[in-house]
Amino acid sequence: MSAPGDAVLYGRNYPWGRWGLRVGALVYLGAFLVLPLSIIVEDGLKDGLGTLIEGVRQPAAWESLKLTLWTAVVMTAVNAVMGTLAAYVLVRYDFPGRHFLDATVDLPLAVPTLVTGVMLVALYGPQAAVGSWLREAAGLRIVFAPPGIVLALLFLTFPLIVRSVQPVLHELDRAPEEAASTLGASSFRTFRSVTLPALISPLATGCLLAFARAIGEFGSIVIVAGNIPLKTQTAAVYVLGEVESDNRQGASGMSLVLLAITFLLFIVIDRLQSRRRAAA
Amino acid sequence: MKLGKLPLAAAFLIVLAGAIGAPPAAQAQAKKTLVLGAYTTPREAYGKLLPLFAAEWKKKTGETVTSEESYLGSGAQSRAVVEGFEADVVALSLEADVTRIQKERLITRDWKSGPTKGMVSRSVVAFAVRKGNPKRIRDWADLAKPGVEVLTPNPKTSGGAMWNVLGAYGAALRGKVAGVPGNDPDAALGFLKKVLANVTVMDKAARESITSFEKGIGDVAITYENEVLVAQQAGEAMDLVLPSSTILIENPIAVVDVYAGKHGSQALAEAFVAFVLARPAQELFAQYGLRSVDPAVETATAARFPKVPDLFTIEQFGGWEKATTAIFGPAGVYTRAITEVQSR
Repeated sequence: MSAPGDAVLYGRNYPWGRWGLRVGALVYLGAFLVLPLSIIVEDGLKDGLGTLIEGVRQPAAWESLKLTLWTAVVMTAVNAVMGTLAAYVLVRYDFPGRHFLDATVDLPLAVPTLVTGVMLVALYGPQAAVGSWLREAAGLRIVFAPPGIVLALLFLTFPLIVRSVQPVLHELDRAPEEAASTLGASSFRTFRSVTLPALISPLATGCLLAFARAIGEFGSIVIVAGNIPLKTQTAAVYVLGEVESDNRQGASGMSLVLLAITFLLFIVIDRLQSRRRAAA
Repeated sequence: MKLGKLPLAAAFLIVLAGAIGAPPAAQAQAKKTLVLGAYTTPREAYGKLLPLFAAEWKKKTGETVTSEESYLGSGAQSRAVVEGFEADVVALSLEADVTRIQKERLITRDWKSGPTKGMVSRSVVAFAVRKGNPKRIRDWADLAKPGVEVLTPNPKTSGGAMWNVLGAYGAALRGKVAGVPGNDPDAALGFLKKVLANVTVMDKAARESITSFEKGIGDVAITYENEVLVAQQAGEAMDLVLPSSTILIENPIAVVDVYAGKHGSQALAEAFVAFVLARPAQELFAQYGLRSVDPAVETATAARFPKVPDLFTIEQFGGWEKATTAIFGPAGVYTRAITEVQSR
């Protein structure tokens, strides 16, 4: 007998194993991912791109899109800093309760988002001690205003950034850091020049995940935002209004715009990931 | 020790076996199911009425009726029925939501032919204010004052919110809002804009809006009169204010005859509609804060439901079909008002 490679032997003797896996995975992806998404695309473009743009350019739609995007950007910026810091502290320092804290990081993913909203209103609402104090003392409105939206988004997406950065920090070779500090670099300098560059790629991934998660958020926002058209109504809540008032076109148009933004972001993520793999 | 527990366990098993093995007596008789698709407000009332109806039906025909109930926002419920939720009877907040089902040819008979023209209950647009009315809100004009925080749901998702907007705009058009000249659409629009500028939270539905108010948000909630009465019954500290001019809310009920026919429950569904229009059921609705469509019950409960000096109906706007376009359509009065007030 000839001595073929394992792969060839495998392919010749078990064609089902070879193709079954691919076909199975592709059918699954097609049925549960591509099909539903294509319905949104088809629905959104049913009356042409012009109608879609016209729909999104309606003042209520446009303002809701702007609000959604800027609150998501603010949240991402804050979480990028605080999430990295949290991951750094959790990995590099040992303190009592570290494991407990580490475990709680994931909890926002398990809390129903509606509950997140109710919780924030209970904490910062006009009836709550913190909320009324902020309003009386600082004239600051948290709930039923954009800050409430940002707070809800911060809470929900926090684990996404921490969990993107954390494993890379874990795996990071400590030798260059130690060399830097031996050479007299301050700990901040060491972090900025040695540690941070290694974290840029996972941080970007985490940020984009968080951003994409944020622009589609509905459950907590509908509770905390106030939902006044053109003022505190986000895109996802706007979509609900259009669905409920029989403007399916407007609803799927806006959904398609959100989808397109998310899709573009994920292409960026994918590029980043492959660049990271190539570098490794 | 172990033997001591054995008889007990054996007895338990015997009881269990008996419970599983015994044929349920009811199964031998005819069984029918009534599917009700309703909006959220009359939930408590229907919860009481359905068992009463089942008892009456059993006495009359010997058939056991079980019911399946679904409560959603009026618009959402209406769409669910159109999209295949096979309700035998729908009880909704506003006529336009029944018309949608009719347009899909699921209701093929004239559901408005009865003495109440298809309506089962009434209410009026009213205000919930804090106990003792600290902001002294007495009428529509007070809602436009600076510094008053107003709650009303979003008309895109809530039938109640549409009634609220029609109430405010209609009262202004009729010259019943202090400082706003009557028959002047521009002045009425201006008034509506001032009220909308004071709105701090727009919830999805009337019930959620009153819940927000209970949580301490806002000075006044524009809502159904019955929502305030029910909240007061539940012990919530709030006062009811009836404006001097407001819109009469009329809630329709209809047999979805295509679905009822398919289930073989046409007669049952019609009997249920007749049952809720009859006096005992109407009195029960009144207990839940709804005004009656039965003149006799209306007279009997007049003390609980004060007469509004200037009560108008949807006909002020030429009916629901016209109001939907002229007020809530893309170029409608409400759409313009909310756009202009927020983009200043």
